[in-house]
Amino acid sequence: MLSFIIRRLLIIIPMALLVVTLTWALVRIAPGNFYSAEKKLPSAVEANIRKKYGLDKPWYTQYGMMMSNIVRGDFGDSLKYQGQSVNEIIRRHLPYSAVIGLLGYLLALAIGLTAGTVAALKQNSGFDYGSMSLAMLGLSVPNFVLGPILVLVFSFWLYLLPPGRWGGVSGIILPVITLSAIYAAYIARLTRAGMLEVMRSDYIRTARAKGLDEKTVLLRHAIRGGLIPVLSFTGPALAALLAGTVVVEKVFAIPGLGNIFIQAVLNRDEPLILGVVAFLSILIMIFNLIVDIAYGFLDPRIRYE
Amino acid sequence: MKDPRRLSQFLVLMFCIGLLVNGCTSSANSRYFGKTVAPKDNILRYVSGSEPETLDPHISSGQPEARIYMAIYEGLVEYGPKDMQPIPAIAKSWEISSNVDEFVFHLRDNAKWSDGTAITANDFVYSFRRGFAADTASSSTELGFFIKYAEAFNGGQVFVKKGDSFLLAKDYGGEEQKPSTGIGPDTDFHKFVQSPIRLTLDGDEKKRAKQIDADPKLKAAVAGAEFVPVKAEDIGVEAIDNYTLRVTLRQPAPFFIGLLAHQFFRLVPKQAIDKWGKEWTRKEHIVTCGAFRIKEIRPYDALILEKDPNYWDAANVHLDGIAFYPVEDNATILNLYKGGSVDAFLNHTVLTSWIEQVRAFKDEYMNFPENSTAYYSMNVTRPPFNDPKVRKAFAMAVDNDALSNFRKITKPLYDLTPTGIFPEYDKARAKVSEEIRKERNIAPDVWAKYGKFDAERARKTLTEAGFPVQKSGDGWACPTFPTDKVSLMFNTNENNRSIAEFVQAQWRQNLGITVPLKSQEFKTFLKDRHEVQYDGLAQSLWSGDYMDPYTFVGLHYGYPNNGDAGFNDPKYNKMLDDANAELDPAKRYEMLARAEFYLMEQQPSIPLTINATNWMKKPYVKGMYPNPGTLLPWKFVYIEQDPAKWDKDVENVMAESDPQVEKQLQELTATQKTAK
Amino acid sequence: MGENIEIVKGASLWRDAWRRLRRNKLAMFGLGVIAFMIVAVIIGPAIIKWTTGYTYDFIPTDRDLVKAMPPSWRHLMGTDDAGRDIFARVLQGGRISLMVGVISTTVSLMIGVSYGATAGYLGGRIDNLMMRIVDILYSIPYILIVIVLLSVFGGPSTPEWIQWLSTTLGGAGNQGLSQIFLLFFALGLVSWLTMARVVRGQILSLKNQEFVLAAKATGVSTFGIIFRHLVPNALGPVIVYATLTVPSVMLTEAFLSYLGLGVQPPYASWGSLASDGVKNIAIFPWQLLFPGLTMALTLFSLNFLGDGLRDALDPQTRKF
Repeated sequence: MLSFIIRRLLIIIPMALLVVTLTWALVRIAPGNFYSAEKKLPSAVEANIRKKYGLDKPWYTQYGMMMSNIVRGDFGDSLKYQGQSVNEIIRRHLPYSAVIGLLGYLLALAIGLTAGTVAALKQNSGFDYGSMSLAMLGLSVPNFVLGPILVLVFSFWLYLLPPGRWGGVSGIILPVITLSAIYAAYIARLTRAGMLEVMRSDYIRTARAKGLDEKTVLLRHAIRGGLIPVLSFTGPALAALLAGTVVVEKVFAIPGLGNIFIQAVLNRDEPLILGVVAFLSILIMIFNLIVDIAYGFLDPRIRYE
Repeated sequence: MKDPRRLSQFLVLMFCIGLLVNGCTSSANSRYFGKTVAPKDNILRYVSGSEPETLDPHISSGQPEARIYMAIYEGLVEYGPKDMQPIPAIAKSWEISSNVDEFVFHLRDNAKWSDGTAITANDFVYSFRRGFAADTASSSTELGFFIKYAEAFNGGQVFVKKGDSFLLAKDYGGEEQKPSTGIGPDTDFHKFVQSPIRLTLDGDEKKRAKQIDADPKLKAAVAGAEFVPVKAEDIGVEAIDNYTLRVTLRQPAPFFIGLLAHQFFRLVPKQAIDKWGKEWTRKEHIVTCGAFRIKEIRPYDALILEKDPNYWDAANVHLDGIAFYPVEDNATILNLYKGGSVDAFLNHTVLTSWIEQVRAFKDEYMNFPENSTAYYSMNVTRPPFNDPKVRKAFAMAVDNDALSNFRKITKPLYDLTPTGIFPEYDKARAKVSEEIRKERNIAPDVWAKYGKFDAERARKTLTEAGFPVQKSGDGWACPTFPTDKVSLMFNTNENNRSIAEFVQAQWRQNLGITVPLKSQEFKTFLKDRHEVQYDGLAQSLWSGDYMDPYTFVGLHYGYPNNGDAGFNDPKYNKMLDDANAELDPAKRYEMLARAEFYLMEQQPSIPLTINATNWMKKPYVKGMYPNPGTLLPWKFVYIEQDPAKWDKDVENVMAESDPQVEKQLQELTATQKTAK
Repeated sequence: MGENIEIVKGASLWRDAWRRLRRNKLAMFGLGVIAFMIVAVIIGPAIIKWTTGYTYDFIPTDRDLVKAMPPSWRHLMGTDDAGRDIFARVLQGGRISLMVGVISTTVSLMIGVSYGATAGYLGGRIDNLMMRIVDILYSIPYILIVIVLLSVFGGPSTPEWIQWLSTTLGGAGNQGLSQIFLLFFALGLVSWLTMARVVRGQILSLKNQEFVLAAKATGVSTFGIIFRHLVPNALGPVIVYATLTVPSVMLTEAFLSYLGLGVQPPYASWGSLASDGVKNIAIFPWQLLFPGLTMALTLFSLNFLGDGLRDALDPQTRKF
């Protein structure tokens, strides 16, 4: 187990570099430059800009220089936001996204797991249909619709919560709810499906046959197997959530990393794109590793060689 | 939550409470849009749009940044609060040479940086030189190319020195310079800068060789000559003494003073830049010179400014601070405004569908003409739009009035230059139009419709161009027109899209042609349009750089140009050159108007709308005016606590006079008036 | 001989499932709604055009009608800001949204299930390698992939078969649709990654069970074990996840359209109609209500159908 973890941790860095390389190639293929704007630049001015940022050198030189910096953990400065280093931007904006993302996901887990488990246990009951319909509502109401509706109700009808901007507990309630809705729905449905699957499996029947009470069967045996699909979904989802959610950040004007990243892609802000991608890929791989380890704990039948 | 029925009951209850509360509050406060309470701390909260790219005014050319720079940096002149005409800033007065190519600025002796050091003419010399330096890589540097040798320095060009003298531009195809009158003391530098324009060649050896090979006369002349790089010191900017600055242009530019309020010409601090390099814009390093200084930088969240006690005119700065909030989503901005967390927001933010509702708040909604136009460029290098007749037909088939009616606040555009922004030019245009009508002997009523929407003539013209338009059922059909070879390309946003859909419907109704729409991500779009690599039509938007019609009339001047139509016509270029060499303003306008008329007959673009300012401010924000660029000189702005004195019916705000603002403006402009 | 028996057994599995599905009222309701939606979006636009003359891109010539109007007999769902009939737009948008859902989910199912099952069953180094490839692909921003895909394959260089597909499914003269077809595949290519992870997780927990060992012992090929024994047993979560993929690709499409990377105007999709409508939620609520309701109803039904299918196909339930 330990050697498995170490092997997986060691491979993360070269994989992240591979991701960076592929992304870099995509940025270079994508049309447009960070400096292109509504007004066209005279060619001499454009040449000055390209020279200043080293874009006049051959691509392999640029790639080499960039990679040697990245290996040392230096992603350079943002091209669009001059004088700000990529590391600094990530460090500064990650917390906003992480707080919203983590809270949103925890809320989603709490709602989703409870609803999904109970719905599975009382399959085809009123609660099952009710909560699953609600979950489906959560899924079919996109967050770009839910957010504004919540703002309308809570900010302009009830005057309870601010319509946007970061600030205090009251400012994060609506974004967290908006964010969690869709994930709660996902988790509820995946949990229900997983639980139904497990409840019929032999080992649960064995457990029941052994005369264990329903609560023990449920909490010690069933829920562990039932969580597998949720777990597979959680790894990448949580990583993506921590790194920011574009729509929620946009609707509530929160300075999170998600929106900054999308802007960076649209701005062709290469260092910033690569920095966030590298960071995100490491995060995803670590989370997936945790998920894989958790598989083993949740389901003793899963073994890693 | 256990019982879904109870949950739905709860939701219904909440909804009812919502309706109730909503009913009460809206009736209690319906005069204003949402919560309206003047902030007690005297700090203005302004939504500035996208996150500012940098606090270095040489680097960013954006408008959101421009408004921030106006608070923290000052230049020789400032935009007037209502008309954007230049008013004195660090220059208290100026003199202009008789042929408008040389300017002497007299600076105030009490202007200071935020670190307390005095601002002198040398600071301007440094700032200008830095702006043009190649390694600054400023994207707005083009605005300053009127200054002598600025373009040559920026492009890394070289003078050609032969023996003791330099080759002159006029001997190798350059424009003959009219003898300059020159003003101010005749220093050595002045003698140099007043001498005839020297020839400059490319700094890159290979490109230069090509340039030289192309011209046999030049080739003979450069033999044995020495190439001397154009230096920063050669640019036509001179500090005559600590408080006198002289700027020399390569050509007459009557609008030059107005240009100087642009961010590119604002002062940057040598002391901080020398010391900190590219990190000079950080909070702990930055030195500013405007009415406000940096208090806090919270990227993507807020930029907080406070009143700078070192500012020379601090006594007349009314706000204690400004908080700029970078928010981009239009609906979110409106929400914040309605919720009372901001006092005003940037231009072009009220969604079109909201306008009817928001317009009812007469004390807050700002709808005024803007020096900005929207039009479709047509790729004149590719068929079928290489045929002027096709271009004309498509232009005539668009009902501009209906479009503006649909857009609610814009006005129809028929030429390059918007009407209502330059009154003198409008007069000149009317005069020229009448002259041409007489020359061509066309009846006035027919002439009035010339170049405007005319579906019948559009169909006729298209038929003449070889694409017959036939009657088909209720509508029209043009089966031979290659719709698979054209598209209408635009960058995705709500406004562009709804205009495109509307215009597409017009062509279908009037010509029987369905032009496919091509909505593109911004940077992809820009590349295709700038390189004129599109089929058919491309959306364009132009905001005037300065308050002179040339900023619009010159769109298709030279090649490559900003018209992005692939259009290049030597006759039109010549007409513009001649107009700008004309010293009599009225005559110049007429010449520009003729050039514009000539160009529109070629129809490289389909004019669509004159844009309008579209923003809101709370009624307690005073001294903030919807000028044509929404560029707000912040020191005039103040927050009025007394509701009795709040702005009412802002559609009159430009005509009404606010005694406080008028007095402040008068005191400022007095120095320049007495100097004249 | 042995093969014949397999086939008969296979057929009865599906027939069995169908019999059980038919007994599930909610699932049949879902199936009914979806069938109705499919028929409606195929023939609806033509009917509307025939009865009222409105099409998704018809902007009235009378300029007083170019505005948002509430629902009426003329416009059952009201009009949008340009005076276009929302009913016609919802029907046309349904074509795009349903195609997004179906094509992208199919692509994601086909790749995701086989990839995930293979990785999970083979395990060891191969599993490790395959999953690391998924990690890498997952880390590359899909927006960038879409931008590049559209700029490389978009416009005149669109592959023949995509153009063919878009004119066949979208009707002739719909050049603007080829971009959205590219997008369908792009979305499918992105969304199979999570599907693969879900399937793999499921297979990992199944592969050491007795029935697999039994199959191995009787000499069933690896391919047979994976696709005949493991995948059917993992089908429950897969179907549920597939029904979850449909709304998520529809919403991703709406977001990409918002960035200019999705459906080309004047075409719309349910997602783009809803995102347009939400801006006017406080003043013209019908612009959000009708596209939103249609979309929600479809997704609801899809979900019930998915659940029914899950129950019907569950090999375990046959024992009860």
